[in-house]
Amino acid sequence: MVVGVALLLWAGWHNLRERRLAMQQARDKQVVLIPAKPDEAGGEAGSLPQMRGKTAPAFALTSLDGKKVSLADYKGRPVLVNFWATWCGPCKVEMPWFEEFRKQYAAQGFEILGLADDVDAGKDVIAKVAGKTGVTYPILLTDGKVQTAYGGLDVLPMSFYVDRNGVIVEQTAGLGSKDQIEANIKKTIASGSSTQAGGQ
Amino acid sequence: MTRSYLLAGLLLGPSFLVAQQGTLTSPAAKPKQYVSFATEEHAVKAGKKSVIELHFKVGEGFHVNSHTPKSELLIPTNLTLKPAPDVTASAPEYSAGTAYSFSFEPNEKLDVYTGAFTVKVPVVAEAGSHTVDGVLRYQACDNAACYPPKSLPVEFVVNAK
Repeated sequence: MVVGVALLLWAGWHNLRERRLAMQQARDKQVVLIPAKPDEAGGEAGSLPQMRGKTAPAFALTSLDGKKVSLADYKGRPVLVNFWATWCGPCKVEMPWFEEFRKQYAAQGFEILGLADDVDAGKDVIAKVAGKTGVTYPILLTDGKVQTAYGGLDVLPMSFYVDRNGVIVEQTAGLGSKDQIEANIKKTIASGSSTQAGGQ
Repeated sequence: MTRSYLLAGLLLGPSFLVAQQGTLTSPAAKPKQYVSFATEEHAVKAGKKSVIELHFKVGEGFHVNSHTPKSELLIPTNLTLKPAPDVTASAPEYSAGTAYSFSFEPNEKLDVYTGAFTVKVPVVAEAGSHTVDGVLRYQACDNAACYPPKSLPVEFVVNAK
């Protein structure tokens, strides 16, 4: 009987140990979603291709008013390339902030290009949504190639801060804080300034 | 009825989890899906109208627009089934969404699915075992970002006796 009880106790203990071990293994494998944090540089949601330090891929796209606009048109100026979509709520929150900063830093040559990632929505809808956010910076219609060139864009909004030398100095995914956006703009304006001094 | 999360495992699996990690030191697979599907075998009476329930689950921390989002700009969750021999499927019936607002846009009311949601499909099947294929199209967001529309393959078996 004593042996039986001992066996039962041992079986119970062994079972508990196995379950704890399995739980621990499951916990070890578990990862928790960390959405884009406004206070983190980049605020990346998910795994993103690293574009920082690389030359911004060139593009030539059509604007809402039918003009051909290329990144090269803004050579020597700090530019924020922002990908957005009409169905993206967080995108539409930061667009008015961009507009505000565009005016604030216009003297430093700062410009913003808004690249609509959902051209299938139609030009009129894109124009309507952009108009509602109050932005006046150029809104460009993507061609499918530019998204690939900038890493595939699995997250929106996605922004690339391009300095005067055409180098991406910062990239962010997801909605960041207004302060973080301004800090990135200042960093972009400051980057490449010395090499451009007197060259504008 | 045998429930299997085979598809869910295949589709979400490691890439789904890795995609949520946010801080990776090495390149990882990009997120494939934000919704999983629990494939099942459905037993129905041959030649009689039956309603099959398809069970989906939105990944933790994400939401997708319901079938009837509150804005025409938003992409609704939509199930499309391919025609299957000896199975006649009627228009799917979607579960109601729940109200949701982004913290940064509290006045903008959305209608979304979070966690589990069900799509009911009325079917009439001839006797036998039939595999039905389809696609669930949806668009997901979390609390700070949105993700391009995705198509989730859906497959289930109808056993009609």
